[in-house]
Amino acid sequence: MMNWNLYSRGDKIFAIVVSILIGMFTIATLYPFIYIAAVSFSSGFAAQAGKVVLTPINFTLEAYGYILKDPQFWISYRNTFIYTIGGTLMSLAFIIPGAYALSRPQLKGRRFFNLFVAFTMWFNAGLIPFFLNMRDLGLLDSMFGIILAFAVNAFNIILLRNFFEAIPQSFEEAARMDGANDFQVLWKVFVPLSKPAIATITLFCIVSRWNGFFWAMVLLQSEEKIPLQVFLRHTISNLSDDDEFAIVQTAAGFSAETVTAAIIVCSIIPVLIVYPFIQKYFEKGILLGGVKE
Amino acid sequence: MSDRNSDVGGIPIEEVVVEAQEALRDRSQTRVPDKNWVKVLDHFKREWQIYAMLLPTLIWFVVFLYKPMYGLQIAFKDYSIFRGVAGSPWIGWEHFETLFTNDQFLRAVRNTIYISALNLLFGFPAPIILALMFNEVMHATYKRTAQTIVYLPHFISSVIIAGIVITAFSPSAGIVNTFISWLGFEPIYFLTQPEWFRPIFVGTGIWQEAGFGSIVFLAAIAGVNPSLYESAVVDGANRWQMMWKITIPSILPTILIMLIIRIGNVMEVSFELVILLYQPSTYETADVVNTWVYRQGLQSGQYDLAAAAGLFNAVVAFVLVMTANTLSRRFSRTSLW
Amino acid sequence: MSGVNLSGIVKAYGALQVVHGIDLNVAEKEFVVLVGPSGCGKSTTLRMIAGLEEITDGDLMIDGRRMNRVAPKDRDVAMVFQNYALYPHLNVAENMAFGLRIRKMPKDQIKTTIDDVAEILGLTPYLDRRPADLSGGQRQRVAMGRAIVRHPKVFLFDEPLSNLDAKLRTQMRAEIKRLHNRLGVTSVYVTHDQVEAMTLADRIVVMNDGRIEQIGTPMELFNNPANTFVAGFLGSPPMNQMKGVLTETGAKIGNTELRLHGAINGHQGRDVIVGVRPEHVTLAESEGTTALPINLDLVEPLGSEALLHAHHGEDNLVFKADTNGDINHLYGVGTVHVPAHLIKLFDAETGRALNLGA
Repeated sequence: MMNWNLYSRGDKIFAIVVSILIGMFTIATLYPFIYIAAVSFSSGFAAQAGKVVLTPINFTLEAYGYILKDPQFWISYRNTFIYTIGGTLMSLAFIIPGAYALSRPQLKGRRFFNLFVAFTMWFNAGLIPFFLNMRDLGLLDSMFGIILAFAVNAFNIILLRNFFEAIPQSFEEAARMDGANDFQVLWKVFVPLSKPAIATITLFCIVSRWNGFFWAMVLLQSEEKIPLQVFLRHTISNLSDDDEFAIVQTAAGFSAETVTAAIIVCSIIPVLIVYPFIQKYFEKGILLGGVKE
Repeated sequence: MSDRNSDVGGIPIEEVVVEAQEALRDRSQTRVPDKNWVKVLDHFKREWQIYAMLLPTLIWFVVFLYKPMYGLQIAFKDYSIFRGVAGSPWIGWEHFETLFTNDQFLRAVRNTIYISALNLLFGFPAPIILALMFNEVMHATYKRTAQTIVYLPHFISSVIIAGIVITAFSPSAGIVNTFISWLGFEPIYFLTQPEWFRPIFVGTGIWQEAGFGSIVFLAAIAGVNPSLYESAVVDGANRWQMMWKITIPSILPTILIMLIIRIGNVMEVSFELVILLYQPSTYETADVVNTWVYRQGLQSGQYDLAAAAGLFNAVVAFVLVMTANTLSRRFSRTSLW
Repeated sequence: MSGVNLSGIVKAYGALQVVHGIDLNVAEKEFVVLVGPSGCGKSTTLRMIAGLEEITDGDLMIDGRRMNRVAPKDRDVAMVFQNYALYPHLNVAENMAFGLRIRKMPKDQIKTTIDDVAEILGLTPYLDRRPADLSGGQRQRVAMGRAIVRHPKVFLFDEPLSNLDAKLRTQMRAEIKRLHNRLGVTSVYVTHDQVEAMTLADRIVVMNDGRIEQIGTPMELFNNPANTFVAGFLGSPPMNQMKGVLTETGAKIGNTELRLHGAINGHQGRDVIVGVRPEHVTLAESEGTTALPINLDLVEPLGSEALLHAHHGEDNLVFKADTNGDINHLYGVGTVHVPAHLIKLFDAETGRALNLGA
């Protein structure tokens, strides 16, 4: 749009100052992650004494050794994968056909059904009735319960519905004249045409499943069912006021801080690996759903 | 015409109706049109598939979102687990009377509004400023990299965010106190002191969401007609003036809509992060409605009272959201041109 | 009874009726073009034939079978869409094969069909390209190919050329015509472009405001428009229309009296609209012409001919004149000569053609 070489001197200075400020904000964003990584590789003594600033002090893998030896870490890691993959597939299985149906002009009562879905974005029964309902359904402490009960949300349905509505009608009509039924129109035409939107929703589902904490904490009691986030929380709060641990660690060369940091690193890594691939989608995706209800 | 076939006395003028439309149209009157129920039956026979696709989603909404709304009636009941939702006796507004004489609940309402107000004051402008700044960065790769990094915290779970905050603000080991002691001050017990909770909470929110929040505004900026800038350049404006005279007025509708939405969500403090960061010593400033509901209901088992508090929260939120929606719709319509 | 037959076809959206009872018989192998201004109901009519719009009332027969409540896929019709509706995620061959696959045609049969049709359309080198990598004309051909592979009883075209530039449009027009001559499939073609209608159609159906104004061969419609609407719609530029009054011997327009071919028994004093085609006037007087004085406003050279924009009284008129390689002599034109036998008369109130019987 604008050419740097045609910038005035003042504009150049302005742009440089702004670039520096952006750089500072970026570093401020990044720094906590670097700090946590440095802590996780430092010795317990160094971490406890607050000596870690940017790089590991007295480099050691003791903290990682401690976690990786804990079978509960692996169980909850596995569970998180189950919740993330199972939950995302479940979400798509509901959302894609549901959004398609809601986008069809020939659906009778379409206005009502759309309102029926959208209303839940504005009014929510709250924690207690939801919890009691889960109990009545017998879905407490159930992995399937977690996967099913958080499969759908109005926002994702509406986002995809809006995308489907924007597909030119002639695509559907051409497929119909070619003999396709609704399932074929959806599967062979709409889904391939909506890859960006579906990728966005998949991304939203994956992120919320991977990060899901509160309801997993409330609904799950069995240790063999808890996801990584709940395990992480337990570990953080247990380590900080566990006297026994304080005695063990002194001998071992790690501390509550380094173990916490190590778990954080372990649970961020998958996000960091996937992040560059999904990045191109969410910028578009967030605008798809946008302000429109 | 009477003289259609006449060839006596010169040439007649006749009106030629090229199309025998009228005559043909009459024929359709004699047909019996399809009956209404035939049409309805026909419709479902032809379109049953979309209803089949909709059904699972509808059932899901009923079971997981609408059935709890039915369960909300326990806010007006003396609920007991054994008698269930329907079987428990009605007691009217008693729970609400209890709530509005309960200091802890009233404190939670105040805290909710207070924290939201701080979020609005500091958290709302941050992504706008960031977007305006990104718009001035000329180096494409630099800009791209910075954006990638600042969007990242949005995708990190609250548990990890809390873990980072707890580690960084730890009195003995945390980096923040390390800096403080370098400067020669005494370490501060940030997470146990009520006056520090709100700044840390709001600051964490900005750190986590400002980058991601800027996407909407960057998109609005990208939608500004480039010829506006070009004519401003010809008129001799500098970048600073262009930002104030072109960019900001152009994205004002987006800013206002986002602001209205934000105000509509005042009751929605991210209570997950509050639960992870607060402790009894900071309840004074940290406890919000939903965390109070969580403790009263899910931890202490006072389901009916907690449900009443939840209902209060939901109704206020609903009124706010609906008002905001109406405003934003009216605004986005009139503000387009 | 083969071909496509519409009788009393009505389309209403709630209380709003947009097609008011269409009667049309398209013979087998015939190429019929529906033409009219936008919003005239031509596309709706086509979509009712396709089965994409429900028919509110009337009967639609294809090949002798009532189709009102038959699903589009079972009507044995194929349609070429205005935006082509090519699936961007499929290549050319897959696009053409889409309908065949859904109909479960055996794979080897699909392949031979696609290859044959690609050959006819000159698409063989592009079979594994995606639509995004094709030119506009190639996409247009794929869209036709997709219709052809199905061997339908009827082709439906919904403004298929309107997305192409002028040069390509002319080229594709000829191609569609050739293809129709070769395949001989009954075709219904919708366009708002009267040149397309004239060049392609066996018969043209002029529609306006949800009704048929006239049906006929291109030359019938050109020579004998049924009313002022058709007269003003076909031909480029369209027929000039001037208000006039019938006299003993002709039609009086302002102070000028145009002589007519034949007598005016008993209709003197009647208000009429006098229609003169731009290409029918001459600059030189000859037998059977009347001089019409004009005020010349503008000369637009087109090459071998030029358009003369002029007015006579309050009527704005356009005439065509040969340039013979030079337009300077046209600037002095003050009179044109109108041949009596080519003048059309329309009733001033109804707009219907008045026929001076021969």
